[in-house]
Order: sequence, then structure tokens, then C-alpha cells
Amino acid sequence: MATMTTTATPKDQRDKTASRAPGPRDPRDTADRAPRAIPPRVDIYETEKIYVLLADMPGVLPDGLDVVAERDELVIRGRVERPARTPDYQEFELANYYRAFTLTDDLDTDGITARLSDGVLRVEIPKSARTVLKKIPVRME
Amino acid sequence: MDTRSLWDPWQEMRRLQGQMEQLFTDSVPTWRWPLTGQYPPLNITRSDTGITLEALCPGVDRGSLDVQVVGDTVTLRGEHKPEPDAPEEHYYRRERPIGSFTRTLGLGEAVNADQTQATYTGGILRVQLARSPEATPKKIPVKS
Repeated sequence: MATMTTTATPKDQRDKTASRAPGPRDPRDTADRAPRAIPPRVDIYETEKIYVLLADMPGVLPDGLDVVAERDELVIRGRVERPARTPDYQEFELANYYRAFTLTDDLDTDGITARLSDGVLRVEIPKSARTVLKKIPVRME
Repeated sequence: MDTRSLWDPWQEMRRLQGQMEQLFTDSVPTWRWPLTGQYPPLNITRSDTGITLEALCPGVDRGSLDVQVVGDTVTLRGEHKPEPDAPEEHYYRRERPIGSFTRTLGLGEAVNADQTQATYTGGILRVQLARSPEATPKKIPVKS
């Protein structure tokens, strides 16, 4: 399990993948590695205090994972290693991963954490204090 | 090395389907992946001593993973459990698979169930199956 912490702040969960066609734009995508990048499947949900992004990235090595939050964008990248031998029977092929999300300004800029476990990347994005739901008690008179 | 492949009339259809899905997923986010049909996707590599089976199934609950070998048949079971703290209405996006899966595969040759080993690393389930002695290829010297 790999753990890392980013320092920038996410702001929104709008997915930018469609407007950024993923491809071998990553300089690490060389011919001897997986040649293309695909968007990982993701779940995004919110709790009272955080947004959680889960991304399926099977085959990614712990040191091949990048989670970068910069300005209004959160980018996740994963690098996989090709198997030494082509399988005799093949239903899947590992590929590098790339997906970007737009962040809004209602999130805590310093608290993003990311963790990779069993091929699933979990990114937790805290809401900024002013957007956390605050219940106001109503006094009956 | 044994290069025989498993004959499966649907393999080409699935490959075509996979390529079509890839064509779309390269430009737009994928839709939710239902756990029906052929899940998890498998790769099989054969060697003289055994068969390696790899299943792509990230995020499976480790306690639910089950690998069974009977004769020449392997059965994989597992479950993608929902997040405990996330009711359905709190989701903005749901693309990852959820629920239980079972996949049974006929290998076409007997394997030694006692020597089967399975690991689950990086979301890939690897099952190392040892060939039974009678199924191990024997090299026949060719006399001139």
C-alpha cells in the first residue's frame, strides 16, 4: 500500500476527461511500455466533510502513480509495466491511466490525501470549513 | 513450450467488443461496468510446468476471494462491496463495478489442485496452476 499527500486544493468534481482526449502524451509512454493511456473508471461521492474519489487502476506500481492538484485541476496518472510475455489467451491488456478533473474553490486546499490499495486509488478531498454543513439550532419561544 | 491456445469461439467476438469499448473509452469516460457475463477478464499463460491465470479485478474484498480447482476446471469468486459510509444519493459518479462475481473456466487438461497458488496484488488475482504429472509435456527425441 502506498500513501502520499498532495498539498494543493481541489475545488470541483467536474470531469474533464472528455475535453482532454487521453493519449500517449505522457513522456513516459514509450514504445517499450504500455503505448496508450485510458481513463480509469471512477466513483465520486461526498460525506459531510470530504469528497471521495475512487479510481480503478489495476496493475499500477506504487512508484508509478501520480496525483497532482494544481490550480483548478486534479490529475491522476498511473504507469503499468507490460508483462514479459504475451499471454497465450488474452482478454485484457494493461495500459497506463490518465484522467483529469476540474476543482471548484469550495475545497480545502491543503488536505488532499491519496492512497493506493488493491489496484484502487482513493483520493480524499476535504471541503473547506465554510462549505461544511453547519446545523443551526432553532430555539423555540 | 506449449503454445496451444484454448479454443473459444467467442474470444474473437469479445476481443472485437473490447476494442469497440476501448475506442469509446479513449475519448469519453466509461459507463458503469455490470458484473454480468465474462467478469473478471482473464489472461492465460502456459508453460511446461504450469498455467498462470490472471484476473483483472481491482478492489475486491479480500475476504470474499475464493479460488477452487476441480479436475480441469477453475472457479473464481469474489465481491466488490459498496463503500460503507456512502449512501446511493451521495454519489456524483458511479462507474466502478459492484456486487458478486463467479467465473468458471475449463482448462482442457488436469491440474494438480494441491500445488495451486493464488496471490492478489495491485488488483490482479494471479493463480498459478501446476500441471498434473500425466499432463506435463514430455519431450520425445527424434531418431535419425
